[in-house]
Amino acid sequence: MSNENSHSQVYKLTLKIKRYDPEEKRSWVQAYNLEAGRILRFVDLFRQINDEQDPTLAWNSSCEHGQCGTCSVKVNGKPLLACELLVENAVQYFQTRTFTIEPLNVAPAVRDLVVDLAAAYERIDRVQPYIIQPGSPPSEQDAYPIMPQSLDHYVNATRCINCFCCASACISSHNSFLGPNAMLATIVRVMDPREQEKAKRLKILYSEQGVYRCHSSRACSFVCPKEIDVAHFIALAKEGRILNKS
Amino acid sequence: MISSYFKKPLEQFILSGLGNVPIVSFYAKTRGWPFVIAWIHRISGMLMLLYIGIHIYTLSFLAIPDAYDAKMKLFGYFPFSFLEWLLALPVIFHALNGGRLILYEIFGIRNDESMIRWVLGLSATYFLLLGLLMVMGDQTVSPIFFWLIIFIVGILPGYLVTSKIWNIAGSFAWKLQRITGAYLFVMIPAHLLFMHLQPAVGHEAGIVIARMQNGFIKFIDLTLVIGVLYHAGYGLTAIIRDYLRSRLLQTGLVFLVFLIMAVLGWIGIKLTLSI
Repeated sequence: MSNENSHSQVYKLTLKIKRYDPEEKRSWVQAYNLEAGRILRFVDLFRQINDEQDPTLAWNSSCEHGQCGTCSVKVNGKPLLACELLVENAVQYFQTRTFTIEPLNVAPAVRDLVVDLAAAYERIDRVQPYIIQPGSPPSEQDAYPIMPQSLDHYVNATRCINCFCCASACISSHNSFLGPNAMLATIVRVMDPREQEKAKRLKILYSEQGVYRCHSSRACSFVCPKEIDVAHFIALAKEGRILNKS
Repeated sequence: MISSYFKKPLEQFILSGLGNVPIVSFYAKTRGWPFVIAWIHRISGMLMLLYIGIHIYTLSFLAIPDAYDAKMKLFGYFPFSFLEWLLALPVIFHALNGGRLILYEIFGIRNDESMIRWVLGLSATYFLLLGLLMVMGDQTVSPIFFWLIIFIVGILPGYLVTSKIWNIAGSFAWKLQRITGAYLFVMIPAHLLFMHLQPAVGHEAGIVIARMQNGFIKFIDLTLVIGVLYHAGYGLTAIIRDYLRSRLLQTGLVFLVFLIMAVLGWIGIKLTLSI
């Protein structure tokens, strides 16, 4: 490292990236050594590898502003958004300059760090992440007003971007649990006063694959890049308090 | 940072030590301390289930009092009594942490950092208290008096949890797991404490049989056998469902757990009623 306390500070990093070749169905770990500025993000590092060392490395991103959730990976075991992780923060947090990068384990890898998002979204689709049966607005109004007091109870949950970091970190794995983000998607609609189809949602929520598979390890809240206290909302559902707030 | 969850100097000191244990450090950093605690909860539960099997097997020797006394004599020796003391760690941690989870999930208490501190602090206190009682080994209390008080105290959290979750449209099995948990939260640490007031309470067949012949004690023992086996069976089933992909294997192992619990339950109930 040079220029310790300046903006031009450069870190010598080693990225050990888990690779997967679908043609040969082969997995391996490939190490890349690179120099990077302190405020570069991990998506920038992947791009740097593509540009300077290995154009075949596949990774996913879209908005690169922490709004779409497509660049989720595990860095040294922690699920996070590669577009939000700065080099200096990573060095400080993990106390190392060697990083192991893996795809999230929420769906099969398509190639390298790219996972099959369609397969991952299958769980979200099952909870129907939209208002199934909207209530009619009060008479003589075009829009359905939601009182701020009502919105306050669940507005944080609406910030979920389905990055699947919570699902990847969850102690319940994802064999028989629909996952924290799928639970959040249905809880937020149960709490939404516009949604009239509560019964169908509660049936999914309290099913064998629903909230009872959660053991309140709170890893979902710990890793959530949007800082949503996911475990809090799931606990509200267990307590039966989500209907009262609507 | 790994230690940022807890701020006090003593906590920082303990955590800096734990931070040197690779697997603990890894999960604390990547999933958070409550995740590590959730795993300790599971491991302590499995350790206790193992012990319950041995416990019921050992108690089955009460049918032949001399054989029971001979077996129990072993537990009077140092390594075994030390192991019995160590057993208090998973017991009290599991009980208190289970209480914390019930408060979090059912009573809406979100001050989890504070609750974790209480779990750890009270666990250490109980562990030392039990050790002290074991060293003293000369305490006596009327079994009926002790268990009457403890039963009333144990029924209270059981009732509170029942009244809170009974009407929620959800899994009956899950509700029963939380209700038994709330009851056992008081009863099991109390059971361990009672058994170590003095060695004869648990080690001499004549004294154990005389106590178990009382109808009220029989009732308490039956609630313990049924409550513990249901609670443990549900917990084990949850772990199986979490980690096994194959539905066939899941169903097979869940059935096996049910079978083991049924056999242990049958031995325990038969023993309690036949004495």
